[in-house]
Amino acid sequence: MEISPWILFWASIFTSNILLTNFLGMCSYLSVSREVESSFGLGTAVFFVTTATTAINWAVYHLIIVPADIVYLQYIIFIIVIAAFVQLTEIIVERFSPVLYYSLGIFLPLITVNCAILGISLFMVIRDYSFIQSVGFGAGSGLGWLLAIMLLAGIRTRLKEKFIPTGLQGAGMSLLITGIMALAFMGFSGIVNVQ
Amino acid sequence: MNYQKIITEILILAGISGVLATLIVVAKAILQNYGECVIDINGKRKVTVKGGGSLLTSLAEENIFVPSACGGKGSCGACKCVVTDGGGPVLPTEKPFFDAKELAANYRLACQVKVKNDIKIEIPEEIFNIRKFNGKVAKIEDFTYDIKGVTFDLISPKEIDFKAGQYVQLRSPKYGKVRESVTRAYSISSKPSLQNQIQLIIRRVPEGICTTWVHDFLKEGQEVEITGPYGDFFIRDTQADIIFVAGGSGKAPIKSMLEDLAEKGCNRKMSYFFGAKTTKDLYLTKYIESFCDVFPDFTYYPILSHPEPDDNWQGRTGWIMPYFPDALRDPKNTEAYLCGSPGMIAAVTKNLMELGIPEDKIYYDSFV
Amino acid sequence: MKLSPTDKIIQDKMKPGILTANGFLGNDKRNFRDIIADDMKIVNSFDKSLEDIANRMQYLMEKSFLSYDSSIVVDKNYEVEYNSYRGVLLSPFPNAGRFGKATIKVTNLKNHMCVVWTPLHVHFIRDFGFFEGKGSKFRIEPEILYKAIFD
Repeated sequence: MEISPWILFWASIFTSNILLTNFLGMCSYLSVSREVESSFGLGTAVFFVTTATTAINWAVYHLIIVPADIVYLQYIIFIIVIAAFVQLTEIIVERFSPVLYYSLGIFLPLITVNCAILGISLFMVIRDYSFIQSVGFGAGSGLGWLLAIMLLAGIRTRLKEKFIPTGLQGAGMSLLITGIMALAFMGFSGIVNVQ
Repeated sequence: MNYQKIITEILILAGISGVLATLIVVAKAILQNYGECVIDINGKRKVTVKGGGSLLTSLAEENIFVPSACGGKGSCGACKCVVTDGGGPVLPTEKPFFDAKELAANYRLACQVKVKNDIKIEIPEEIFNIRKFNGKVAKIEDFTYDIKGVTFDLISPKEIDFKAGQYVQLRSPKYGKVRESVTRAYSISSKPSLQNQIQLIIRRVPEGICTTWVHDFLKEGQEVEITGPYGDFFIRDTQADIIFVAGGSGKAPIKSMLEDLAEKGCNRKMSYFFGAKTTKDLYLTKYIESFCDVFPDFTYYPILSHPEPDDNWQGRTGWIMPYFPDALRDPKNTEAYLCGSPGMIAAVTKNLMELGIPEDKIYYDSFV
Repeated sequence: MKLSPTDKIIQDKMKPGILTANGFLGNDKRNFRDIIADDMKIVNSFDKSLEDIANRMQYLMEKSFLSYDSSIVVDKNYEVEYNSYRGVLLSPFPNAGRFGKATIKVTNLKNHMCVVWTPLHVHFIRDFGFFEGKGSKFRIEPEILYKAIFD
């Protein structure tokens, strides 16, 4: 594909947002978006993980998996890389921001099973991106996820004191809002099409 | 079946995992290694510890025992201390235990603060006197149907230095359905001069973890772990009259205080009010009454609220508070020492203040 | 009712040997949410709310402090016996605070109903409608409690 990495980067944030367009990475998105501060913290951690793992997975795919002809093992290997990297992220967060570490709690290690991250690596393979394109795509997708969770956190904070029918409280209302946000983001789709 | 290919693929998978695992180990060694940190205590004493642990455990390893009832899990709030520098931000696990004033004054929970760099703290001076003792049960006596007196010989360290009125924490092990070792507080009921032995008066708490172990499982000769002494309940060195109010197991610190005063010599007018329901709840009555012969002016007031007819109780009946005026000759010059539940302490304090005793002369050891 | 992850932590704290010797569930096979749901069916048939019940328990407790670890007759009809012990009890529910160890035994002199509770139970009932599992030593039957303290 001939798209400039820079365009891929911006597209992944707006027109092809991994969360609002592909609806990947929903669980921690729904659970942590109660507060803007912890959403920012988790989003940043996810951005860090997606950028790095996409780059590493590109290298592992093209330098090890393809030459050794073990493409059928790509899922396992990508997950191993992601899991190891999330561990590293945990160690770094605990060291430099214990408050964030405690407020994220279980959701930090849960980044490993955030399907958006595996999804980004697999898209990179399917769409046959180059290394620079992958980095742009990974970074943009991470930022797109961060943007989506911050938006939902902001909206949920505003809704805190408002009346919501019992059946819709919690996940129900969040999913409705996400759907409306997805519709809104579709308004960007005329700018550039990458998928 | 190309076995060579399969083995190669397995080796590649193992190799990738190995490289990543090494990376994590290296990262841990670098980032979780906080090196040596200096804890500056009260500006007077400095200890050097290996960084990474909590303040509570780091200090305990240096034989400085900050009080803790939950073993460092962040659920009791007993390990409050002031961290003036180097403690990092206040964690969400600490916030429920402090009000705005305490947070502004830099109060933290020692079990939640991690020692990652040099840190300055302030703790009460008495904490330096707290030690962990290995002891052995010397004697178990039944005082009432639910109260036992347990005497411990101290093995190492051999001697304890405490003020009459202080308490220790006794550790109960895992037993039966109880899956965790816990520590519980009991007042020392023996005199301070008896430094290599302490007696505790332990009342069975319904569904209690430690008291059930003491009453049903503890045997003479058994080894135990005791930490202490703790507490700021002690007799003030004045010549004022004294009123003691303590029932049930609250008699323990009073017994220690009376034995201590008897040894040191005391001319103060003293009265001890012990409220109970029936004669079944009385214990060590003759022993406490014997202090009338030791002190020039000591009166013991055991008061039963519901004596049974066949008890043949000839003493005072009803509740204790109506009898207070009998013991008061000069309220302004009287000190009160109370030991019991917060509700009792509040009710008795209110009554004593109405009788003229100054609020700052009422000292108490609250059960909570 | 299935337990959420936070509820599972509370259920574990209620088991024997964690906070008290025998825990708060007795030999009940139901989880604590189901126990609360079943008991609330009974409580909803009363003319008093959980708040009213807890306030009444608090009132009787406070009146009994005057007797200090003994027993007293409150409002000419309720004999309240209060026994206190040293120590702090934590609630299995999060951020509930610390509670003293005491037993409060109330006997209604008119209908002879007798019930025992601890300060922890006032919090259990006021905040959650939790009366403990069947078979637990401190299980309070809602109807007996109601008859003992309100008749």
